[in-house]
Amino acid sequence: MSAPTTTATAPPGAARPVRRRRGPFAKSLNRRYVITAYLFLLPAFAFFGLMFYLPIANMVSSSFRTGAQADVYAGMDNYTRAFEDAAVRNSFTVTVIFGVATTIGAIVIGLTLALLLNQKLRGRVVFRAALLVPYLTSVAIVGLLWRNILDPQLGILNRLLSDLGLPTQTWLNTHPLATVIGVTLWMTVGYTMVLFLAGLQGIPEEYYEAATVDGAGPWQRFWRITLPLLAPTTLFVSVMAVINGLQAFGQAYIITGGGPAGRTDLYIFHVFNVAFTSRDFGYASALSFLLFLVIVIFTVVQLRVGRRGEVQY
Amino acid sequence: MRSAPNPLARTASYTFLILVCAVTVVPLLYMGALSLQTEAETLAANPVLWPESPQWGNYAELFERAPFGNFIVNSLIVAGGITLAHLVFDPLVGYVFAKFRFPLRNTLFIALLATMMIPLFVRMIPLYVMMSNLGWLDTHQALIVPFLMDAFGIFLMRQFIQPIPDDLIHAARIDGASELRIYARVILPQVKPALAVLGLFTFVHQWNEFLWPLVATSSEEMRTIPVGLALFKQEYFTLWHLTAAGSVILFVPTVLIFLFSQRYFVRGITLSGLK
Amino acid sequence: MATPRPTRRQLLHWTGAGAVAGLAAPWLSGCAGAPESETSDDATGGGGGGGEFTVYWNAGHAYAAYDEVIAAFEEEHDVTVNMQKYQWPDLRTRLLSDFASGSAPDVVEEPGGWVQEFAISGDALSLQEYIDADGADMGFPDDWQPRTISRNSFEDQVYGIQLHLTCTMLLYNRAMLDAAGVEVPATWDDFLDAAIRLTGDGVHGAALNQDAGYAWPWLLQNGVKYYDTDSGELLVPNDKAIEALQFQADLVHKHGAAPVPTPGTDYSGPQKLLSAGRAAMILTGPWDLGPIQETSPDLDLGIAPALTHETQATVQAGTSVFIPANAKNPDLSWDFIKRITTLDVERAATEEVGMLMPRLSWVEEPVVQQDERLAAFAQGFDYAIDTTEELRLTGKSGEVTELFKVLYQDVVMSNTPAEQAVETFLSEAGRVLEG
Repeated sequence: MSAPTTTATAPPGAARPVRRRRGPFAKSLNRRYVITAYLFLLPAFAFFGLMFYLPIANMVSSSFRTGAQADVYAGMDNYTRAFEDAAVRNSFTVTVIFGVATTIGAIVIGLTLALLLNQKLRGRVVFRAALLVPYLTSVAIVGLLWRNILDPQLGILNRLLSDLGLPTQTWLNTHPLATVIGVTLWMTVGYTMVLFLAGLQGIPEEYYEAATVDGAGPWQRFWRITLPLLAPTTLFVSVMAVINGLQAFGQAYIITGGGPAGRTDLYIFHVFNVAFTSRDFGYASALSFLLFLVIVIFTVVQLRVGRRGEVQY
Repeated sequence: MRSAPNPLARTASYTFLILVCAVTVVPLLYMGALSLQTEAETLAANPVLWPESPQWGNYAELFERAPFGNFIVNSLIVAGGITLAHLVFDPLVGYVFAKFRFPLRNTLFIALLATMMIPLFVRMIPLYVMMSNLGWLDTHQALIVPFLMDAFGIFLMRQFIQPIPDDLIHAARIDGASELRIYARVILPQVKPALAVLGLFTFVHQWNEFLWPLVATSSEEMRTIPVGLALFKQEYFTLWHLTAAGSVILFVPTVLIFLFSQRYFVRGITLSGLK
Repeated sequence: MATPRPTRRQLLHWTGAGAVAGLAAPWLSGCAGAPESETSDDATGGGGGGGEFTVYWNAGHAYAAYDEVIAAFEEEHDVTVNMQKYQWPDLRTRLLSDFASGSAPDVVEEPGGWVQEFAISGDALSLQEYIDADGADMGFPDDWQPRTISRNSFEDQVYGIQLHLTCTMLLYNRAMLDAAGVEVPATWDDFLDAAIRLTGDGVHGAALNQDAGYAWPWLLQNGVKYYDTDSGELLVPNDKAIEALQFQADLVHKHGAAPVPTPGTDYSGPQKLLSAGRAAMILTGPWDLGPIQETSPDLDLGIAPALTHETQATVQAGTSVFIPANAKNPDLSWDFIKRITTLDVERAATEEVGMLMPRLSWVEEPVVQQDERLAAFAQGFDYAIDTTEELRLTGKSGEVTELFKVLYQDVVMSNTPAEQAVETFLSEAGRVLEG
């Protein structure tokens, strides 16, 4: 049903999209639409209030407490302790490296694969399926599987390498963090690829046709059409990748147990151990809240940068 | 959909894709092979690539050792129910954030994203208390209700609704359509690819969720597959042949859902709404 | 704590109940306002009466021998026993969530150490009254290995009953030792010498575990205490601890007589190498006997007593059962514990799966004495030590153990000099103990 209205909107000659920062109701805040918006949002925020904000409030209040039941008021103790805790510093560093590497890797590899698979290639359905399957199972299973494959003494990979007369690997000992990052990317690039593919579907073909008529080459088309029009998707992928990367947990829990000697001690894995191994819910809450603040900052910065790059057409 | 420009680039594309796909698929085939090995073969220090004789009985053993049928049904109810809820709620809220202007919009949006920034285990105990007070522990609703919508889905839909031309909405308003009708008839048809992606990923996440079903269920019959799989570990070692078989079963529905949904998000541009 | 302050538990109830009441007051307020822990006590006061009886159990310990006990228990009390089987970390997550919300199962199996921890935190029920009444009949504590009592006690009260008892011994491939003309080692020097001579041609003389707990036989044999209650010091004496850790690292890095352990979350690496004939000697417990039998039935397996250096010693392990303080009906829980720890049940479980048991009379059973492997492990009970017992009483055992894991991996995997790594450990762990 949208066909008749849409034909008029695609600007036929627009070789490059027009930069515009106005929404549909930019001139004035129309009261009717404001009320409609709040009406739509009300049930959602009631739900989030109950299922998220209350628990978050609970976390903040426990972060000022200590003891096995987190029932003894401790002031700022948990926070001052966090800043002096060498293990926390270590796991924070590990996690930032992990988060940055998995974010950049997921975007670069995922976008490359999406661009390749957005071409008319024979068998692309099979390729897409093959790339996404690792994401269709759980981190726990992926972790178990790769731990099993990569074990230097017992894994199938070294057995195959030595059968082929190749040198064997001990990556879990020598490059544990890089290995965990690699396994994570192995699992998640298919997922970013799918998001980018869905984003690419939304770019009208006419823009490319018009640009080609204007004599733009493939690189120019990529930089001037694909990338700007893909900005909402890229923003989404990078925000989510940072949020997920800084909260990654299962990889350390299953593959390395955080070792050797804390080199893959991902932050949330560390906090989980504080909460459930050491049973220090107060300290764990403070640590969670600190990471929460870090992620909020990361996200706000990304949204600011993203909004600047956003285009509407 | 653009065609590859020249044969050389085409060959390079194929080679690259085949290599990457080999890396993604081969480890999973190995898991399939593990699921057909005997216990002794999976425990062997000289790992076995392919079993001497495939042990299809491993799959039957899953059902003998535990109420695995229940696990599958529970997982389907929970992941399916949550996915449906997301498909209803997430696009609506995403639409509001994408196309409405109202005071506190950015603040509320950040507040929404903030819900993704605490790990589940921090929410877990308050939620557990809540479910216990409601008398919902060990029921399907305890597994479904805390996940009825999430910021991931809303954010995803907002990003995909944002590029839809505002003129479409204006035109519909001028025609006198109600806001809900605009949403259902103008917006939703435009974002089918994103809806397919949302449905797929929501299902995958929930299907594989471990921590909450572990805590919120208290009878074996109510466990979901990931929690149920924990039964196939001994105190000091994993029963790999059964774990791998269970993992293969865990795969089947998500792969089916993918094959079903991918038609929507990867079909040619000529079929999509924007033309 | 002079001013009355709402406990976290109450806060949780209020926030949970309040939130729900606010949104859905009319139809939910009935259940929302009633914290279950306070109302349930009198409801099931007497005999059970068709109710449910929940037990948290290790997924690897679901023996047929226990099924019979459970069936009889259900029959007697007219209850349904809900056996919830978990892996240890999952069981702990589940249990701590229960404790935080005020609910609790009726009986819990634990992997060692939790009984005292939960006794200190007030989450475990003292069994002393029950033992005073029934102890003589069931043979507690006289028929239990003496070292299993104190590890389950706190301030002279017993909080848990040992269910299984194990210890770590030296397992070796007899054919390999014979072929190399190596005697079964009895001291560290013997062991090092044997390990070096057995190494070669794709075989390592020894294999160390990635799990830090397996470092403890060496530390104990060198006379090291995890925590010295009098001085408040860790790894005492420090130089002996350094020596023991360095010995293990040297085995790997200096002599190449053992492969570098790979970090992970499972303990089966050395067992698999032994089974495959790629390692000649490992330290492990009876839990590895089953997998070895399964994968390498022809392996000529020898079990030697623990090594002697300063002293002969090894690590004691094994599970206990306890009753949470909030259990609905402790009398019923206690009856369950009595039934599951009888000599007959121990014998049946041993016959079924070869598990080792804590009763002194169990050692004399024919099923044990006629099985040389079981008998070999049972001998270790005399000098097996629960390493963290004193440390647990500080309430900081969890955090210190995490730091020890880093220490062990740092030395044995990354080959950091033990002296330097121990120094780091002591300063970090010292801060934990003070704080």
